[in-house]
Amino acid sequence: MTAAATITREEALAALASLVDHEHTHIDGDAIRVAPASTDEVAQVLGFANEQGLTVLATGSGTKLSWGNCVAPELVLSLERMNAVREHAWQDLTCTVQAGCTWNAMQSELARHGQFVALDPLWPARATVGGIIAANDSGCWRLRYGSLRDLVIGMTLVLADGTIAKTGGKVVKNVAGYDLHKLLIGSFGTLGVVTEVNFRLHPAEQDVRTWTVIAQDPEEFSSPLRALLHAQIPFSGVQLRASNGVALDISICTRPECFDDLENRVRAIFGSLTMTDANPDVWQAREQLFQDNALIVKASTLPAEICATAREIVKSAATASLDVSVVAQATGLMTIAFRGRDDAVLAQINQHRAQLKAKGGSVTVLQMPETLREKLDAWDCTSDALPMMREIKRRFDPKRILSPGRFVGGI
Amino acid sequence: MLAATPIEELRSAVGAGALITAESQLQTYECDGLTNFRVLPGAVVLPRSTEEVQAVVRVCARYKIPFVSRGAGTGLSGGALPAEGCVVISLARMNRILEVDIPNGYVVVEPGVINSHVTQRVAAEGYFYAPDPSSQSVCTIGGNVAENSGGAHCLKYGFTVTHTLALEVVLPNGDLAHFGSAAPDAQGYDLAGVFVGSEGTLGVATKITLRIVRRPEMVQTLLAAFDTPSAAGQAVSDIIAAGMLPSALEIMDTLAIEASEAAVHAHYPMCGGLLLVELDGACDEVDALMAEVRAITEKNGAWETRLAQSDEERALIWKGRKAAFAAMGRISPNYIVQDGVIPRTALPRVLEQIGRMASEAHLRVANVFHAGDGNLHPLVLYDRSIEGQEKIALDLSYRILNLCVDNGGSITGEHGVGREKQQALGYMFSEPDLATMQLVRCAFDPQNLSNPDKVFPRTRLCADRPGPYTPHPLETAGVAEIF
Repeated sequence: MTAAATITREEALAALASLVDHEHTHIDGDAIRVAPASTDEVAQVLGFANEQGLTVLATGSGTKLSWGNCVAPELVLSLERMNAVREHAWQDLTCTVQAGCTWNAMQSELARHGQFVALDPLWPARATVGGIIAANDSGCWRLRYGSLRDLVIGMTLVLADGTIAKTGGKVVKNVAGYDLHKLLIGSFGTLGVVTEVNFRLHPAEQDVRTWTVIAQDPEEFSSPLRALLHAQIPFSGVQLRASNGVALDISICTRPECFDDLENRVRAIFGSLTMTDANPDVWQAREQLFQDNALIVKASTLPAEICATAREIVKSAATASLDVSVVAQATGLMTIAFRGRDDAVLAQINQHRAQLKAKGGSVTVLQMPETLREKLDAWDCTSDALPMMREIKRRFDPKRILSPGRFVGGI
Repeated sequence: MLAATPIEELRSAVGAGALITAESQLQTYECDGLTNFRVLPGAVVLPRSTEEVQAVVRVCARYKIPFVSRGAGTGLSGGALPAEGCVVISLARMNRILEVDIPNGYVVVEPGVINSHVTQRVAAEGYFYAPDPSSQSVCTIGGNVAENSGGAHCLKYGFTVTHTLALEVVLPNGDLAHFGSAAPDAQGYDLAGVFVGSEGTLGVATKITLRIVRRPEMVQTLLAAFDTPSAAGQAVSDIIAAGMLPSALEIMDTLAIEASEAAVHAHYPMCGGLLLVELDGACDEVDALMAEVRAITEKNGAWETRLAQSDEERALIWKGRKAAFAAMGRISPNYIVQDGVIPRTALPRVLEQIGRMASEAHLRVANVFHAGDGNLHPLVLYDRSIEGQEKIALDLSYRILNLCVDNGGSITGEHGVGREKQQALGYMFSEPDLATMQLVRCAFDPQNLSNPDKVFPRTRLCADRPGPYTPHPLETAGVAEIF
């Protein structure tokens, strides 16, 4: 145990086993892994950790555990046993789910009534509700339905000292009190442990068609994309893929009788560029970037800038003899994979950080080779709101036991 | 009254022409749309820039003077009610639209910009600003941000927070901070998300970046007459269950129709439950969906359906709906408006229970509601001149809120907690929930100066009461209507 801790690991293990039971408490590498079965048990575990000054990393299935800066916790708090869909009020289009439930397990339950949480995160078969919320992940559906900020309507969370608090509620329209759940989304486990989530739901997409348009250079898409987003089209997703070649994928969700007219409108916008029916697998492109030991970043830019930004990134990587693949959503969020020499990759990241920051965007490193961990901060936040973020962290977690150092500005 | 030194410092912060201290002038600022609560502020300042707001807030922080920021004062929950001896920061002069970026779909505005002016500014480009509180022709974006305002169309388009991308905020110590960004997912905690709807308790927003939305190609508005609000409510459930997301779904009961007709003459069919359905989107899609909606309303017993044939007809339908609150004066000397939310499926049983509670109290309750998202606006009608009736009406309106909470809902869908519903917040949330919210409050405002004694329950339990309606001075003067 670290200097802050006052007890030995064996003592901690025994104490935790008395709170959660032996079967679900064990040594895992340098940490103790504990898997509580309820919000009350999470509260007891956190209360104990806080009292003893033990650092805690909450986890679901661990798909994004390496995101953010490195944490070496004394306690790994697994939510794997809290994996139930607690309530599906299908006529009210809401549901309540435990944080350890995998995304697909939740969606299959909701699909029984033809509904879904309108978000397409990475690795939905394994990723859990809690982890997706901690990382604020989102995919191509965000263009139509918004992000977790728009879909989460309430939460149960446990603070570092074991306090159990509810925020929001089970109705979509609700302005009573502060929306603390917005603070927890994307907080990387640094403010509390989310144990249950209330979502607003949408009717599942039934009739969807996807097309892909091919070009030589991302810039060729610049003005058609602008025209496309300005047109009256019910998109399900719009994404730009740029690497050696360039493609734009477009999904539309509408009633069967409306497709012909909409397809004609889209074709008119792209003129002479080749547009073909596409396989829905094109929407796995973002996930496919993660398949090897590449350095992966989430970059953010203004929506109208994605073509120019993608072009710049591809060109600059070629000059530096690096492999690069860009998958950009029409919302302005891009996932980019770099492969090549560490020093060249590092130089690219620094260059893009400077350029995107100048336009109000950012570059967050999601996955990096171990050899770069020492040299690269996952974040590049220089916001004048950082002092307030640190103060909120101090109030929520004064002993800094929750994922210390993982988040922006050393939080 | 404020001491001479801070007054002098406020004067040098904003200039003599932007400081009000004369009692007769201060009275203009003694209340907002919740007019039965009135407190005279110590001073009012009308800054013209972020720097002036900072200078004012620094004076307040130095002398520990509470401050309350204010837009048009149309709020219905007492959010802009002054604190005793406070400085009211009126943002009325910060009313410029600073930037319009159509390709990226946003505008940057100062807090005093009027809601409907945002849409007016971008309409020619085919865009609009979606949140549309009924007071949108007079209320300001700063106030909308404070209250996280909604409106009839938030069923499809979301609330103010859905459309707020970034904020420049003067913190309660006078420091400046920027939350969020026009590009998605700014790094760090989502402070913009927490600030929107914090009712002025976390600082003063001085610049707001708002998302604007493409104006739909086609809008269709249907009126359907039912025998009861519950029958109309069932049609709403069936429309939602069919997988549709209309841009608005509104219900009015007989009393509300009578009042609205007396005031606006929207030619509504006189019925027990009037349903208003608005669909928007691409032409073919809207045509197909509207046919389906008509079939659903007929299946649920609608005996008359009427589709607006022109923009003028649609505007008249909405005028009748949006004037419903103000129109209550036509059928009752006094009334209290509430803002509870319930899960849609609880609608029939909650309406029935409200009816029962009303007849037990020998009072009438008119119902106007955003049925799509379960946001009720029960209007408790009474006569103040009858001794004891106001107390009974207040009590009833309060029990209706508790009923909403008991049915899994909320005490407020869009009006905010403010001064009016502080105790009700304590009915909805437990002590640990409220204490956790207070952690945020204390991080922002450890001296408790920014709009103090609002939102959170007061220690004196007896102090809380919802508000009977009395006309706002602006309304009496014919300057504005409170919807």
